[in-house]
Amino acid sequence: MLSSPSADAVKEPAPPPTSPSRRGISAPRVDLRHLSLVGVLVALVIVGAATKPEQFLTGDNLQLILTQSSVIGVVTVGVTFVIIGGGIDLSVGAIVALASVWATTVATQEFGLGGMLLCSLAVGLGCGLVNGMLIAYGPMVPFIATLAMLASARGLALLISDGKTQVVDVQSVLALGVPDSYVLGVPPLVLVFAAVAVLGWLVLGRTTFGRRTVAVGGNAEASRLAGIAVQRQRLLLYLLSGLCCGIAAFMLIVLTGSGQNTNGNLYELDAIAAAIIGGTLLSGGRGTITGSVLGVLVFTTITNLFALNNLQSDVQQIAKGAIIVAAVLVQKGRKTS
Amino acid sequence: MTDTHGNQHSSHNADNTSRRNMLFGTAAAGAALFAAGCTSNKSNDDKEEAGQANVADDKPGKKVTIGFAGPQADHGWLNAINDQAKRRAGKYQDVTLEATEGSNDNAQQVGQIETLINKKVDVLVILPADGKALTQVGLKAMRAGIPVVNLDRVFASQQAYRCWIGGDNYGMGLNAGRYIGEQLKDKKNAKVVELAGIDNLELTRQRTEGFDDALKNYPNIKKVARQAAEFTVESGQSKMAQLLRAETKFDALWNHDDDQGVGAERAIKQAGRDEFLMVGGAGSRRVMDAIKADNSVIKATVLYPPTMAASAIDLARALGQGKGVGGLAEFEIPASMTLYSAVVTKDNVDEYLPTGFK
Amino acid sequence: MAPPAPLLTMTRITKTFPGVRALDGVDLDVEAGEVHCLLGQNGAGKSTLIKVLAGAHQPDEGEIRWQGEPVRLPTPVAAMRLGIATIYQELDLVEHLSVTENIFLGNEVATRGFIRARDARTRATGLLRRLGHPEIDPDVAVGALSAAGQQIVSMARALSHDVRLIVMDEPSAALDPDEVSNLFRIVGGLTADGVAVVYISHRLEEIRRIGDRVSVLKDGRVAAVGMPARTTETREFVALMTGRDVQYAFPERPSAPAPAAPAPVLRTEGLTRAGEFAPLDLELRPGEIVGLAGLVGSGRSEILETLSGARRPTAGRVLIDGKPLRPGNVTAAVRAGVGLAPEERKSQALLMLESVTSNVSVSALPRFSRGGWIDRTGERAAARAHTRDLALHPDDPGRPVRTLSGGNQQKVVLARWLLRDCRVLLLDEPTRGVDVGARAELYTVIRRLADSGVGVLLVSSEVPEVLGLADRVLVLREGRVVHTAPARELDEHRVLDLVMEGSPSC
Repeated sequence: MLSSPSADAVKEPAPPPTSPSRRGISAPRVDLRHLSLVGVLVALVIVGAATKPEQFLTGDNLQLILTQSSVIGVVTVGVTFVIIGGGIDLSVGAIVALASVWATTVATQEFGLGGMLLCSLAVGLGCGLVNGMLIAYGPMVPFIATLAMLASARGLALLISDGKTQVVDVQSVLALGVPDSYVLGVPPLVLVFAAVAVLGWLVLGRTTFGRRTVAVGGNAEASRLAGIAVQRQRLLLYLLSGLCCGIAAFMLIVLTGSGQNTNGNLYELDAIAAAIIGGTLLSGGRGTITGSVLGVLVFTTITNLFALNNLQSDVQQIAKGAIIVAAVLVQKGRKTS
Repeated sequence: MTDTHGNQHSSHNADNTSRRNMLFGTAAAGAALFAAGCTSNKSNDDKEEAGQANVADDKPGKKVTIGFAGPQADHGWLNAINDQAKRRAGKYQDVTLEATEGSNDNAQQVGQIETLINKKVDVLVILPADGKALTQVGLKAMRAGIPVVNLDRVFASQQAYRCWIGGDNYGMGLNAGRYIGEQLKDKKNAKVVELAGIDNLELTRQRTEGFDDALKNYPNIKKVARQAAEFTVESGQSKMAQLLRAETKFDALWNHDDDQGVGAERAIKQAGRDEFLMVGGAGSRRVMDAIKADNSVIKATVLYPPTMAASAIDLARALGQGKGVGGLAEFEIPASMTLYSAVVTKDNVDEYLPTGFK
Repeated sequence: MAPPAPLLTMTRITKTFPGVRALDGVDLDVEAGEVHCLLGQNGAGKSTLIKVLAGAHQPDEGEIRWQGEPVRLPTPVAAMRLGIATIYQELDLVEHLSVTENIFLGNEVATRGFIRARDARTRATGLLRRLGHPEIDPDVAVGALSAAGQQIVSMARALSHDVRLIVMDEPSAALDPDEVSNLFRIVGGLTADGVAVVYISHRLEEIRRIGDRVSVLKDGRVAAVGMPARTTETREFVALMTGRDVQYAFPERPSAPAPAAPAPVLRTEGLTRAGEFAPLDLELRPGEIVGLAGLVGSGRSEILETLSGARRPTAGRVLIDGKPLRPGNVTAAVRAGVGLAPEERKSQALLMLESVTSNVSVSALPRFSRGGWIDRTGERAAARAHTRDLALHPDDPGRPVRTLSGGNQQKVVLARWLLRDCRVLLLDEPTRGVDVGARAELYTVIRRLADSGVGVLLVSSEVPEVLGLADRVLVLREGRVVHTAPARELDEHRVLDLVMEGSPSC
């Protein structure tokens, strides 16, 4: 009954449809897992429509929510990859701060838009490289290595900026953040966020890089024995996270028209929280970009909703905490039922 | 976090504010304050009668070593504090300034101050990272016979300092409200929006309290929205964008902090809005330039003057030389000085431009 | 002229880890189309040897030749390129990934980095069919499969490569008898195609069924090379592995159950978990060993876990010394004197990095603590007393448990419950991963425990073990007790018949 073991299995007659699903590999799972988040989002929209109908359900407000999601959203995509790969990156906020400060120094601004963008990306990649080298080849525990990066990147950002807000004078950069540059009403920042999210989704779900990320996070030893270069994969994941931080830093420069050492404050926690409520397992091995993007949108929508209703930060923070607990509990219930 | 303007006087002190607005006129910066003070405070007509013999002046006197300890300068205003102190000290030939590297860590700052005590400096100027936490080291200095000038963030015990000088958060809100009130007093159903600083700091609450109290005098004005940012550009942009969406039309905006104002102004530009007037807070150079140019929504800013650091050096020098200050009938330097939060507008901006911090 | 070179020749392979010489000049040669069995106790060096072969470890010395040509295997990928695939015992699957994703892990069906999901799925379906398991859904997560199903996925992965040599590390350990037959059919098909199989197992009867030649490892050295699998006597194999002439010996049972039997220490009344096992009425007396025989999935492990409080029964109750136990509460069960030695010792029972002492005392810490401070001398003395009693080797209470052999790790678990004054011991596969030589010793220890008045409930996949050790045997089939009898009245065939056919109890 066995054909030659080396024979290509493709030659075999197509198997009978033993299982109902013949489509994409994980399509049915995805929908189910994100249902709770979509539910939360719908509930938020209903609350918004009920309390502030004129302001909430407008194109302008949608644009605002997406714009405010874009910077943290790009960071979250990178962090999601790292967490799925079994790591953690606590340094993202600090890297954003450092990159935004470095790219807005008087010296860098002389090189114009291209120079600033390049600088921002290079700083992000550089920090990611240091993180990755320490973790993959150090080898250091990701928590400690990125904690060290958090401290030193923030320190360096303060040193470079001397605590001052560095206002951007380059008109081409500033122009990217104002309505004249919007493409069919969509701000460039939102387009960048969308591009990063779609790319992340493709890479995670459709490429060997993505598959190996899941494998390394799920069972590093099994991955090693399966022939995956685990340490190299880890290095690449932190590089990816660093690159996302670099992109986010430039977006933040465009958004705020400045660079400041306080930028990206607590991004690490916001990004991790968004990934977790999006269904990413903190211990690695499971997670989706769709979930993380939904997680970011939920948080931004809450902030928007509360601001529109003139509720203060204390209430916003309580609600944020409650949403995290609720979303994770709902997912747990789903899993065990 | 990185904030700064931490007057921790309990809120009832705010009621005493006007009585405590001591003037103090030995220096240029002081004079500028004095001029501002006169516009709304008439308690100083007796300046001419000041008759003490022993008043500090610019002439070189007894050598004084002043120890200066502040928090880490990670914010524009704190940078200005350090600059002001150093420049002021440099002006006097008889003053040697021993400045520590700033720190936001209480334990580290205590260590730095203890080093200064051991070095036996003549006077200490301390801007504590946290006033309550550093009270003990203030007491220690006083017991060692070193007079302490407590800058802005106040120690928990009055025994820990010889003289306190600092800003007035309640008064800052009060003056911002008063200015906006006067601008809008003839407008029916005027709407005002407030962009506050970090909400869990007492000083933010005090500023909001003063702002609300001032607006109570104008029944036609209603504060329709308030959001708290975090003294950062990023949070300023984000919260302002939300406010602009929440209130599609309003008449005035008070932003607590000119640093986060960079982000707020960016959000205003992105929303393409200009129907209101904006009042800043603290007094950065950038905002003063904008007031002078008068081509944006920014029409005024309420000071939280970093010149207090220069004044603190003056006080410390006078204490070290055993002298009083000019312009008052008192023989001794007052125990407490709350500075006036002047409103900088296009009319007086030229006077204040040099004090604007970057 | 020399005969044609063997497929694989390993010569004088040496591998040293800090403090251990795992392989000390090992030779091995494997011909195409043969099943070459590797025998050896735990720690004999089998795992290290196959990891060297898989490119996961680098030898310090020695030479590997592939079809006569010297080769280096610096990475797992290099080994796979040659056609060497390895099926590890447990650690080579990623449970969140689907069957298809696991099969092609590290060897994805992709074009320029983008995975061709449909092609991969088709190929996976084909491989599963070849392995006789078309019912496995290639889209399901591997974590949701049974142990046997996971084994099939590992095999499918091996076959997905252009494979010339497959290494199987105890492939039958997690399989039921009919699964094992299927495995042998697959192995037979592979060898007929000229693929070589290196087969590692503790079960001599399997080696006799499918093996061609046997090599025996002992303490990192080769004790015997290429012995005929079918004709060599068991006694000789055991002697080679242990260096002693050991029989698969069970300790004597006490002459006869005392007529005035003491009251049962453990009793269940209609204990049920819907979907797992039917109402169970069981009595266990002090000094008695009761065996549960049944296939994987017959509910035997679930019964033990329910008794230990780890699972909550849907009906019925458990009584210890006549007092009902709070259901579904491990703490209450432990307090009442119930101790479980789970099947997955390493993950469910032991703190692998900690010392023997801390592992033994962990359940009885309050006894050694005064106001939260641990009396370390008392702790060590008490732990030592019990480990001595169980003949732990090496007798060093400070040694990390990780460095002990499987049998001695099991003894550490037993010592823990003895220290806790345990009345009822629940043993789930106590000899899994324990080598032949150490088993007899463990059997003696378990019998001694029973003699001291502990009631023992034993679960094992190996019928001879249940029959040899237990006083009374309950045969389980699909969650139901189909037969109860004293062990001496049963034999292996009778039990296997009951287990598989479920013929009505007499």
